[in-house]
Amino acid sequence: MDPLDEGFENVTDYNYLNPPCVYKNNHSLELVMGPYVHSIICILGFMGNSLVIVTYACYKRTKSMTDIYLLNVAVADLLFVVTLPFIVYNELWSWSMGPVACKLLRGSYSVNLYSGMLLLACISTDRYIAIVQARRSFRLRSLFYSRLTCAVVWVCAVLLSFPTFYFYHWYEPSHSREAFMWNPVTPDALDYNSTYGWAPEGDGAQPPQYVCEFRFADNGTAWRTKVAVPSTQLAVGFFLPLFVMIFCYTAVIVTLLRAKNFQRHKAVRVVLAVVAVFIVCHLPYNITLFYDTLGMFDQHTCEESDALQTVKTLTQTVAYLHCCLNPVLYAFIGVKFRNHFRKIVQDLWCLGKRYIAPRRFSRVTSEIYMSTRKSVDGSSENGSSFTM
Amino acid sequence: MVSIKASVAAITLLTVCLLATNTSAVYHECCRGYMTLKLPFSAVRGYSVQTVTELCPINAIIFHTKKGKACTNPAFNWVMDYVNRIRAKAQMVHIKTSKKQD
Repeated sequence: MDPLDEGFENVTDYNYLNPPCVYKNNHSLELVMGPYVHSIICILGFMGNSLVIVTYACYKRTKSMTDIYLLNVAVADLLFVVTLPFIVYNELWSWSMGPVACKLLRGSYSVNLYSGMLLLACISTDRYIAIVQARRSFRLRSLFYSRLTCAVVWVCAVLLSFPTFYFYHWYEPSHSREAFMWNPVTPDALDYNSTYGWAPEGDGAQPPQYVCEFRFADNGTAWRTKVAVPSTQLAVGFFLPLFVMIFCYTAVIVTLLRAKNFQRHKAVRVVLAVVAVFIVCHLPYNITLFYDTLGMFDQHTCEESDALQTVKTLTQTVAYLHCCLNPVLYAFIGVKFRNHFRKIVQDLWCLGKRYIAPRRFSRVTSEIYMSTRKSVDGSSENGSSFTM
Repeated sequence: MVSIKASVAAITLLTVCLLATNTSAVYHECCRGYMTLKLPFSAVRGYSVQTVTELCPINAIIFHTKKGKACTNPAFNWVMDYVNRIRAKAQMVHIKTSKKQD
C-alpha cells in the first residue's frame, strides 16, 4: 500500500484536494439579481423604449436624422430587454428552452449590445456635426445618410456577433457528467463512462444540466476566441463609443459655452449627464471584463475567481440599467417629445378608465390599438428634432 | 402595434412566474487551479476531464475521491499515470465481462 494512503485517510483539509469551484457567492447573487433586479430593469426598459417607439411610429410624422438614430437606439434597447428575461430564465433552469433558443438569445444579446453602443456613438457624432460643424450639417445630416449609417451599424453588429452565434452551443459540460468511475473496493461496481448520478456514492439521480456556452473543436481556437470575443466587446462595444463620445461632446460643450444662447446651460447639463451615465453604467463592467480576460487562463483560488464572477454579475446589472436610462436621457429630455408623450398618457388614461374594468383584456388591447390609430390621424404637429 | 399595457402585463406575469417557482440551483463547477500535492492512487475512484474547449478556462483532470473531487494538472506525469491505470483496469474488466457473455 502507498505510504501516502495513511495520510489521505486523515485528510480533513478540503483545500488539500483543491476541488472544482462552484462560485457560491456569485450563484446566490444571481438568484437574487436574475429574477428580481433584472425583471425591474426589464419592465422599466420595456416601458421606456416602447413609449419612444410608439411615439415615433404614431405621433410624429416627419423624422429628422436624430429621430432615426433615437428610434434605432430604442429598438436595440427594446430587443435587449425582451431577450433579457429569457436569458435569465434559461440561466436559472439549465437552458430548458433548447439549442435554438441558446443560439438566438446569445446572438441577439450580442447584436443589440453592439448596435446600441455604436448608435450612441452615432448620436454624439450627429450632435457634433449639427453644433460644431453647423455649416456642413445641411449636406451631411440628411435622412439618407442617417438611414445608411443605421444600416451599417446593424450590419456591423451582426458581423461582430458572428463568433458568439457560431461558437455558443447548448450542451452538457462533459467534465460534470462523464466521470470514468472506478471503485477500488468492489471492482464489480465499475461504471463505464457513467454519469455522476449513477455512481455508487451518487448524490441522487439528477436531470441533465445543460449550459449555453462556448464550445470549440480544438484548444487553439478555444484560446483565441475566448480572448478575442471579450476583447472585441471591450474595444468596439465600449472604448470606441466612449472615445467618440468624449471627443464629440467635448467639442459640443466648447461650442455651446462660446455661444450666446439662453438655453446653453441646459444643453451642457444634458450632454454631461449623457456622458456621465454612460461612464457610470459601463466603465465598472468593462474594467471587470478586462481584468477577467487578462487573467483568464491563469490559476486562481476559488475565492478569487468567485469574487471576480460576483463583481462581474453585479457590474453587468449596472450596465443593463443603461437601456432603461437611454429613453430618459435621449428622448424624454426633449420638450416636444414630452408633449407627444403626454398625449399618449392622456389617451391611454381615458381608455383605461372606460374599458379596463368591465371588459376582457384582449378586447381592450384592440380598442387601445384602434384609438391610437385614430389619434395619429388627429395629430398634425410636426417638429424637426427634439433633442437638447 | 402591440399594446403597451398588454405587453407590460405579459412581462409582469412572466416575472411573477419567475418569482413563484423555486429555482433548481444549477451549479457549474470549474477547476480554476490545481492541487499541489500528490494523491494516493487507492483514494482515486474515477476521473473526469475538463477542457478549455468548453466553458471552463483551464484544462484539468478531476479525480473523484471519497473525500470529494480534486483538480489536478494534466501536465504532471503522475496524473496521466493514474488516468492510464484506471483506463487499464476498466479495459481488463471489459475484456473479462465480454468473455463471460460469449
